[in-house]
Amino acid sequence: MRASIACLTLGLFAASAVWADPEATSAPYREYAPMENYRPHVSGDLSLSGTYAYWKDPKNLDWRMAGNPEENWKLNWKFMDPPFNPAIHGGHFALERGEALYKSLNARGRFARCLGADKGTLKGLRARYPMYHRTLKKVAGLEEVIEHCAAQEGRVLQNGSYDNSAVSLYVASQSNGMPIRIDVSKGEMHAAWERGRRLFHMRAGRFNLACASCHTHQIGLRLRGTVVTTPYGDAAHYPVYRTSYQLQSLHLRFIECNLDTRTQPLLPGSRAYTDLEVFLTALSNGYPVTVPSERD
Amino acid sequence: MRFLSLSIGARALLIAGALLVAGATRADLPADAAINAAAPLQTMQPKVIVNSGRLEWVPYYRDLTAWPTLSHQDRRSTPRPRKVKLDAPVRGDPARGRDLAMRPDKGYCIACHQLPGEEWPGSVGLSLERYKSYGHADELVFQQIFDARAFNPHSVMPPYGTFGILTVEEIADLVAYLQSLE
Repeated sequence: MRASIACLTLGLFAASAVWADPEATSAPYREYAPMENYRPHVSGDLSLSGTYAYWKDPKNLDWRMAGNPEENWKLNWKFMDPPFNPAIHGGHFALERGEALYKSLNARGRFARCLGADKGTLKGLRARYPMYHRTLKKVAGLEEVIEHCAAQEGRVLQNGSYDNSAVSLYVASQSNGMPIRIDVSKGEMHAAWERGRRLFHMRAGRFNLACASCHTHQIGLRLRGTVVTTPYGDAAHYPVYRTSYQLQSLHLRFIECNLDTRTQPLLPGSRAYTDLEVFLTALSNGYPVTVPSERD
Repeated sequence: MRFLSLSIGARALLIAGALLVAGATRADLPADAAINAAAPLQTMQPKVIVNSGRLEWVPYYRDLTAWPTLSHQDRRSTPRPRKVKLDAPVRGDPARGRDLAMRPDKGYCIACHQLPGEEWPGSVGLSLERYKSYGHADELVFQQIFDARAFNPHSVMPPYGTFGILTVEEIADLVAYLQSLE
């Protein structure tokens, strides 16, 4: 016998009074997780999760913690950054591929200039991305700019594709060990940081979750078998080799985040993802670029 | 405040619920959403092809097009909080409720909450292992699952009823299961 609820009275809270003014009704109704204040520097984590104390120095990670499933999350998975394992993982293959692709793309030196390299050297370039790109006339992530600049050379390197991420990985490798340094205090970058911060707290999708629902307000707690980690210091190791997937750019990671939380994903390079990239990269300011990294 | 009060049977309510989260049309979705070009509307996911400059897109096994995205261009509103008033006692099936609580495509309560007899529970939500001992009324439990925002606008618990994740009958089964945990 199927259980039944004979009768229900349903009240619909339309709350139209709150949204009665014409300006408000033109904007879609959205909900936000409680807004946190963030510092655009990796040390800001000390007033959020406090785990920065354990992973701030990549050369001095406590390996006993890495081997302890109750504690390894406190290292923010940095124990999978290079040189965590001399054995070669997929990221190393991608790096080789990226170097070969870069050299053929930059045969005439135009490609490096298009990426924004000073005097043709890639040193420190990744640490300054995302940045305002003069030709694209907007704030863009490295992969979006690689797609654009490859097209100038007559090559198709779609944002998120293996070859695009491989070139991005090679460019990043030339800044290995250099702290990320993006300035979000003014202009277009500040606007992107503010939009990204707001998006980080905006609830979306079938579960009505925001990034911040878990990654700001539930850090250290379990979701089934995994532990929620801090948003600080997490943008320094992209593109990353995922054991369970493939070479993955940050925007492809956002797609995975969206799918996992039952939210319709966006295309790589979309405005919203780039804003989130600016926000998260600013939360990695001061943390060294570390590629090629692996993550489960 | 507009207050719409309905007195309807469970089946009619299902239809009302479906209307609130209606299937999206192509025009509803922002231009930067990852959807397919051809009909029917479908959520797509990227597939990385090794040593290729092209990103392949394949259909995702869940269709997520009906709910708001993170896009700045998404003009759809988030479904607002809804309050439910029960006119009759909840009569659900606890065994079916337990099944729903474990299934990733249904309640998946275990992702956040502890439940008896299951390993690797989440710890984001409170333990439900002896839920009956809290002494909550069925109506409150039903509302918490249907739309927890009625009690706390910042609750991270998904609004299972309002967002059409579970039917009212399934929520009744979950209520019966939780109230059986002593």
